[in-house]
Amino acid sequence: MTLNQSRWLMVVAAAVALAAGAWVARTMLFSPSAAGQSAAALLGVTLPDTDGKDQPLAQWTGKVLVVNFWATWCGPCREEMPMFVRLQRERGPNGLQFVGIAVDQVDKVQKFAGEIGLNYPALIGGYGAMELSKSLGNSLMALPFTVIVDRSGRVAHTQLGPLKEEQLASIVQQLL
Amino acid sequence: MLAALGFAGASWAAGPKLLPADQAFRLSARALDAKTLEIRFDVADGYYLYRDKLKFGVEPATAGAGVPVLPPGKMIEDEFFGKVVTYRGPVVVRLPLAAGPPGGSVSLEVDSQGCADAGVCYPPQQQRLTLPLPSAGAGPSAPVEASPPKKSYFNSTK
Repeated sequence: MTLNQSRWLMVVAAAVALAAGAWVARTMLFSPSAAGQSAAALLGVTLPDTDGKDQPLAQWTGKVLVVNFWATWCGPCREEMPMFVRLQRERGPNGLQFVGIAVDQVDKVQKFAGEIGLNYPALIGGYGAMELSKSLGNSLMALPFTVIVDRSGRVAHTQLGPLKEEQLASIVQQLL
Repeated sequence: MLAALGFAGASWAAGPKLLPADQAFRLSARALDAKTLEIRFDVADGYYLYRDKLKFGVEPATAGAGVPVLPPGKMIEDEFFGKVVTYRGPVVVRLPLAAGPPGGSVSLEVDSQGCADAGVCYPPQQQRLTLPLPSAGAGPSAPVEASPPKKSYFNSTK
């Protein structure tokens, strides 16, 4: 092997290593799923409910927590919420807790909550809530976006777009 | 090479591949003359905009923005919102100005909101474009593309 050849090989090897490193970094940074990560950032958040009372998410630590980012202007969000209401009623006693974070105005949230008989907390978030969802993998900042946190406070599942009932029930079943 | 990898990494995603809002609903506008703005959305396949969420404003107020002329769109019966009109593909809106200053410029503010058929909706967004107005007798000005919005907003009273 000549000196030129070995130099060339070293350059190629360095480029491959750099590329691999960059790929790993990018994949981790931009992965849409935060599964396995600590949900500390989410559980550290306090948001007002529809009565204006501050609600720290940490109060639900130890439960299987389904945090759903939604809005009344989002049709797919409205469509899946009655199913959440049903699961909250059926599995709440087993330790399942839904929490909605509405990217919306409080009067619209109250009206819709009344229409569907919402039986879990509806917290009011603004742009900060969208940024929070982005940090959990919602890079497009679109809705609905749902994060499922296990009893130990780790993210078990994140989803952009609606959840199917059988899919959600199956995930929750494993965690309860 | 790094730039290419970075791009590949950023677009890597599980599940349905979705576009960011500003690419799903590409906005551009031009002045046809000092009294008429033409605003265009190119809505990507699989996405739609709500007509009643489209709002237009012009600064300075002395330019006197009139009532926008909106295309008919498609009336759909939405399970939750009732009868709503949606737009797909290219959407061209004309906005009359009572007193656009010929040879000057105006700042156009466009509010919009839309969704993807894949089952997600994008927050209402507000975009601003600065449009040069042609001098009297000159042809339409060149179209101006909207840059990605700096932020969306959620607490307006609309």
